[in-house]
Amino acid sequence: MFTSSGKAVWGRVFSSYFVAIMVVWLAVLITLCLGPALKATVTFFFCAVMISSWYGGLCPGLLTSFLSWLALDYYFIPPLYSLGIGPAELPDMLAFSATALFISWLNSDQRKVKSSLQQSRDVLDARVRERTADLKRANLQLQSEIAERRAAEEGLLQAQNELARIARITTMGELAASIAHELNQPLGSIVVNGDACLRWLEGVPPDLEEARQAVEAIIRDGTRAGDVLVRTRKLVRPDDGMRERLDINSVVQEVITWTNDKLQRSGVRLRIELQEDPPPVTVDRVQLQQVILNLVMNAIEAMLEVSQHSRVLWIRTERQVLGKLLVQIADSGAGIDPKHSSRIFEPFYTTKTNGIGMGLTISRSIIEAHGGRLWVVEAERGSTFCFTLPIDRERRRG
Amino acid sequence: MDSEKPIVFAIDDDASMREALSRLFRSIGIRASIFSSAEEFLEFKRPDVPAALVLDVRLPGLSGLELQRELNGSGIPIIYITGHGDIPMSVQAMKAGAVEFLTKPFRDQVLLDAIAVAIKRDRENRKEQSEIAECRARYGLLTQREREVLQHVVEGLLNKQIAARLGTSEFTVKIHRKGVMQKMKAGSVPELVRMAQKCGCHL
Repeated sequence: MFTSSGKAVWGRVFSSYFVAIMVVWLAVLITLCLGPALKATVTFFFCAVMISSWYGGLCPGLLTSFLSWLALDYYFIPPLYSLGIGPAELPDMLAFSATALFISWLNSDQRKVKSSLQQSRDVLDARVRERTADLKRANLQLQSEIAERRAAEEGLLQAQNELARIARITTMGELAASIAHELNQPLGSIVVNGDACLRWLEGVPPDLEEARQAVEAIIRDGTRAGDVLVRTRKLVRPDDGMRERLDINSVVQEVITWTNDKLQRSGVRLRIELQEDPPPVTVDRVQLQQVILNLVMNAIEAMLEVSQHSRVLWIRTERQVLGKLLVQIADSGAGIDPKHSSRIFEPFYTTKTNGIGMGLTISRSIIEAHGGRLWVVEAERGSTFCFTLPIDRERRRG
Repeated sequence: MDSEKPIVFAIDDDASMREALSRLFRSIGIRASIFSSAEEFLEFKRPDVPAALVLDVRLPGLSGLELQRELNGSGIPIIYITGHGDIPMSVQAMKAGAVEFLTKPFRDQVLLDAIAVAIKRDRENRKEQSEIAECRARYGLLTQREREVLQHVVEGLLNKQIAARLGTSEFTVKIHRKGVMQKMKAGSVPELVRMAQKCGCHL
């Protein structure tokens, strides 16, 4: 009980004993005032014991009992105004003492129970508050972690896109640099030889043999430069070695699987109409994937400018009469500006801020290498890219 | 020394470029020596004449820039030629003291002009070097006392002050000073100071 500071405890003890004495005086005064009107003289003294023990606990209660006992003996039990009890009053006084002691004990016990109850309620309250605060903190932390993770995922996706773009550009850049170097070597020799040739011819007399040798070297280097270009073409357009017979729909499905995430993120709805049981085509799977992926990505990017609810990507495969398979990829974007439309298949021509302008050029060269055609049709809304592939002959006969 | 016929060295890993360069130099009558790698060039015993080096940046083995670092002591002026016109590399080369950085294909006149500049630079360089060597040789002839006198003369002290510093008579200083002027072959005090600075004798 003595948990608070010393001052407060002593104040409490002092006031308890002060009350214990005061209530006895009050009881004496009231009982004297009321005098014979009061039937039982002890009533107010019981009240005093009750108040004192309720307010101050067991010891003040006992003090009040003792003082009440003295006061009763002094003021109310004959001989009046003196201490001393006759045998006639002894039972009454003993009864009073017993009752007063009992009241003191009862009250003080009650007090203890109540205060311990209050204490445990306080403790409980504090714990509940603490626990609530903990939960709130945990909740906040969880929310911020979720937001962080979401941001990280977003960042990762962006980084992946950026990486893919850089990889594309780096490859192109390296290829271009290596072609430039390969060509500059013979070109450098050609120019130096040409200059030397001129000097031999300008000499007096001109040295025709030296000049002839220089021209021969020029021809040799010119041929060498041509070889570089032939090799480069082969590099960019590989031969038919990788081709296989396959179902065009499966290639379309693969590309859709890869782009699903991007489609959802961009809020694009997808409509697919695939030819049932399409005839097989003999193609390079990776190259064909590259073409379709390129067209789908272009379509998605073309729709970023229009409002989200009208973004629809439409992919169709269809068997045509002349032994060809048609693939259409249509978007509902803003369409192609007429001033660009004639040039979009040119190399290094791009309308995108982050494009390198090779996507459509490479796509067209791949499709043409497969014996097909790639073109664009302007629709009422957006544009439609179409390409054809020849169907395998064996199947057509069968 | 100026009568020595200068020589042009060229290093390129491309055989047809080597042939073309050799033909060009021959057509103008430039004395040239052409190599296919940096290592081959380093093994070659260079004649002691003004020279210029035409160097391909990308070489198998030791690259052009590495060779330049290797050669920095000999101070032969370098003209770079390259099939890649990459800017960072040209900046690095020019910072390291290259005369010119040419991108293939280049016209002969541009190369010949650069070679002329390089040979002129090398000639001046060599003249400077030989002057320093001669100056050092003359300094070697001086006695310890004469060197002390020379140092004080260069510092701009009067004979009287030098005598006080060295604890000797003004007359003795005058004699030493005369000896210094004769041995260093200096016509005047300013010329003596210049010579001393050139070969760093006064330090």
